[in-house]
Amino acid sequence: MTDAISISNAQLRFGETAALDGVSLAIPQGTCFGIVGESGSGKTTLMRAVLGLQKLDQGEIRILGNPLVHSRAALKQRASFIQPIFQDPAASLSPRSRIRTLMNEVGTVLREPHAAMHERLRVILNRLGLPPGVIDKYPHEISGGQARRVAIARALLMKPSILIADEPTAGLDVSVQGDLLNLLQDIRRSDNITLVVISHNLAIVRLIAENAVVMRAGKVVEGGEVGSLFKSPREAYTRELLAAWPGVTQSKPTG
Amino acid sequence: MAISLRNLSVDYSLPQGTAHALRGVSLDIEKGELLGLVGESGSGKSTVAFALMGLLANNAKVTSGTATIDGKSFDLTKRNATAALRGRGMAMIFQDPMMSLNPVFTIGTQLCEVLRRRSPGSDRKARVGMAEDALDKVKLSNPRRRMNQYPHELSGGMRQRVVIAMALLSEPALLIADEPTTALDVTVEAQIMREIIGLRDRIGCAVLLITHSLGLVTEYCDRLSVLYAGERLESGTVRQVQRQPGHPYTRMLFDCEVPIDRERQADASENRFTVISGDLPDPRRRPPGCIFNGRCDVSFDDCAVINPGDYPVGNEAEHRARCLRLATP
Amino acid sequence: MSGLVATLKRICSERDGRLGLAFTCLILVFALVGPLVSPDPNAIDIKARFAPPGVMHLLGTDNLGRDLMARTSVGTRYALTLAVMIVVISSVIGSLIGIVAGIAGGWVDRAVTAVFDIVNAFPPLILAFALIALYGKGSATFVLLVTVVFIPQFGRMARARAQTLRTLSFIEAERMLAVHPVTIVVRHYLPNVAGPIIVLASMNLPVVIAFEASLSFLGFGVQPPKSSLGTLIKDGFISINQSWWPTVAAALVLAIATLGATLLGEALRRVIDPKSAGVR
Ligand SMILES: Nc1ncnc2c1ncn2[C@@H]1O[C@H](COP(=O)(O)OP(=O)(O)OP(=O)(O)O)[C@@H](O)[C@H]1O
Ligand SMILES: Nc1ncnc2c1ncn2[C@@H]1O[C@H](COP(=O)(O)OP(=O)(O)OP(=O)(O)O)[C@@H](O)[C@H]1O
Ligand code: SF4
Ligand SMILES: [Mg+2]
Ligand SMILES: [Mg+2]
Repeated sequence: MTDAISISNAQLRFGETAALDGVSLAIPQGTCFGIVGESGSGKTTLMRAVLGLQKLDQGEIRILGNPLVHSRAALKQRASFIQPIFQDPAASLSPRSRIRTLMNEVGTVLREPHAAMHERLRVILNRLGLPPGVIDKYPHEISGGQARRVAIARALLMKPSILIADEPTAGLDVSVQGDLLNLLQDIRRSDNITLVVISHNLAIVRLIAENAVVMRAGKVVEGGEVGSLFKSPREAYTRELLAAWPGVTQSKPTG
Repeated sequence: MAISLRNLSVDYSLPQGTAHALRGVSLDIEKGELLGLVGESGSGKSTVAFALMGLLANNAKVTSGTATIDGKSFDLTKRNATAALRGRGMAMIFQDPMMSLNPVFTIGTQLCEVLRRRSPGSDRKARVGMAEDALDKVKLSNPRRRMNQYPHELSGGMRQRVVIAMALLSEPALLIADEPTTALDVTVEAQIMREIIGLRDRIGCAVLLITHSLGLVTEYCDRLSVLYAGERLESGTVRQVQRQPGHPYTRMLFDCEVPIDRERQADASENRFTVISGDLPDPRRRPPGCIFNGRCDVSFDDCAVINPGDYPVGNEAEHRARCLRLATP
Repeated sequence: MSGLVATLKRICSERDGRLGLAFTCLILVFALVGPLVSPDPNAIDIKARFAPPGVMHLLGTDNLGRDLMARTSVGTRYALTLAVMIVVISSVIGSLIGIVAGIAGGWVDRAVTAVFDIVNAFPPLILAFALIALYGKGSATFVLLVTVVFIPQFGRMARARAQTLRTLSFIEAERMLAVHPVTIVVRHYLPNVAGPIIVLASMNLPVVIAFEASLSFLGFGVQPPKSSLGTLIKDGFISINQSWWPTVAAALVLAIATLGATLLGEALRRVIDPKSAGVR
């Protein structure tokens, strides 16, 4: 089977910064892939390159086997199967539009009957623990975590076969985070989608991803199957991350 | 400074009706203390911060509440009640870093502006030096170059650190940090918390830390308050709450935490995350009885009718929770 | 709707805003109601030349005995209509051009910026004379001229805003959904550019009113027998030895109109665009 996303030797510089410095990776279809790494290591840049929002200086990206093309027609075609969830929750919702308008745009793009789209939306909002009333609000009238979930709901509404989520759980409380991750896992299984999760939360990457890579300064420094990756990390940075984990578990209440 | 917030209630008016975002919330932060504020997403944590800062949205109304800051009382129902304290006295790290960053100015300009406001007489060179220093403290690589970059040229985590540096530079008496480290990995997070604690030790400021990370609270905070659907359900020192959560919600929240050493199972259905099932109550109509009723795993008949008071947990006066199970029969 | 009420409330919360709003309302009432309650502005009555203000003629009469109340209010109405029309047309065209340039970047952007620079390189009055030489005097030329002169201002501001907006994730999110580009411009760029544009427009109103008055004063604006604030001041100025009333009345109206619009514009800017005013 062709890989959902394959990247070979991606290079990109912003002035003196090498945001991507020879990144190569392959993400098999229908799997969950984790990308972790230091802040500023190029995770978001990599995602933007895969989405076609950022041209590479060098290297090649293939999506479902086809090379990435930067044209409007190609972008439109890609929208139907690959969707992002951006890192900045509130900033990814257009501030002067009601959430209902934003959701209806998806219906227009998909040419889906209004009622059917809203029925699907209702189910998704419910699973994400959002009250149905949120769709009549403006983005600044909802909380940070609600904005994150609205953005996720919108991406899911597109029924993508590849979902790239940049820090999907940041700003969510542990219970809502659990709801979201369970939902993503369910959708992944029922619709066989490929899930790419960028996160600094190693605990959740460890649980939902099959494979993961660790990035640092624009390079992939180590990668592989999560079990072995986290059990015996080779890189000092990965070990540091695991060691610095603030735990509530050791002194967890008994009873 | 010591701050005590009493009986804060905030309504948001919407076409569909009035949403009661906060109902009678009280908090106390002593001078030099770190108070952690946790709670479900949408429970009103940011609203507490905005009310203190006097930055509530246009459709918000404070229906009751007073803030006592160093012995001086402010009636929060009045517009601009705490305006005098904003600049020098209080600083806030917003949940969304782009809220405090202006996309059209460089990082350097914005940091220097903070310093200029703090001490208008200071020398420009010195300000630039201090700003670079602050970026270095939050572990931002190559501070000199960052100074000339625009917000969109930075990664999400870098933006967040710039905003933290800005808040640290303003040397506030009360620092409100709303999810300051969501985009940062644990090593950087630890460094940032060290800086915040360093600032507290140096100038004795009070810190209100709003976060979803229970790990962060238990490692760094002195006391903890739990908010749920606009009501404060529990408060106490971190040790007390950790040892014996007084409220079922707090206990369930701790149970949802994903331990770092939990391993992935081959069978995908084994990798479920623990959640608190059920929904938040409608903010427009508060149901009678306990606000957590319906999601609580130890509820009983009275919970649907009696609204619990704030009962002490165990023998500790400071540790209180609003659960009927604590009421002495 | 509630946004409008809230904006008005906040404008009224400071002195300058209240003053600006009051002046603007005063002028609006004068321009709208004035012509209804006074006689025909062009009716000549030689016997009543240079009449002082009185019951018959609230503001007196001019050298031909025409009622000045009528002429000034019609002139004000005319000046306001022109100004609003010009500002609306130039801000809409300017925003659209600016947004497109900001989004497209590359040579489109460079070309648009170059044209803006060329237009702005000429002092407006020189440009005015050139256009008048080409198209002749009259209000159509005037509208065209001032519209062209004002487009670059709006265009530049819209372009700068569009460039920052383009880097924000919500625009990228729209693009990733393959929402139609026209929808993106209309629904997601325009409303976010609108705030500062409205502010700029309201601050330009008095400039246009004064510009119109000065052109008309020089004889290149409105042609007789129509009246505008500029021609009124000029006509009054010619016969200032016989009667100082006409000049002062028209000049006063001009002053109140520009002052009111300026104060209101400033207040609006403080409300809509608090960042630029140094708040926060
Ligand atoms: N438009 C841009 N112009 C200049 N530099 C940029 C731009 N976008 C990104 N960079 C730089 O590229 C590097 C990688 O950024 P990126 O956003 O990919 O990091 P990240 O891994 O997502 O980090 P985080 O976890 O903090 O979000 C950073 O050093 C950043 O400053
Ligand atoms: N301007 C507003 N108008 C109407 N409702 C609002 C407004 N701002 C916030 N709300 C609602 O008030 C509630 C509390 O919001 P708040 O932002 O305080 O939550 P929070 O605890 O900070 O959540 P999170 O952890 O997700 O940031 C939410 O349900 C939100 O939808
Ligand atoms: S009062 Fe009842 S429902 Fe509420 S938390 Fe206690 S046991 Fe649960
Ligand atoms: Mg990022
Ligand atoms: Mg919040």
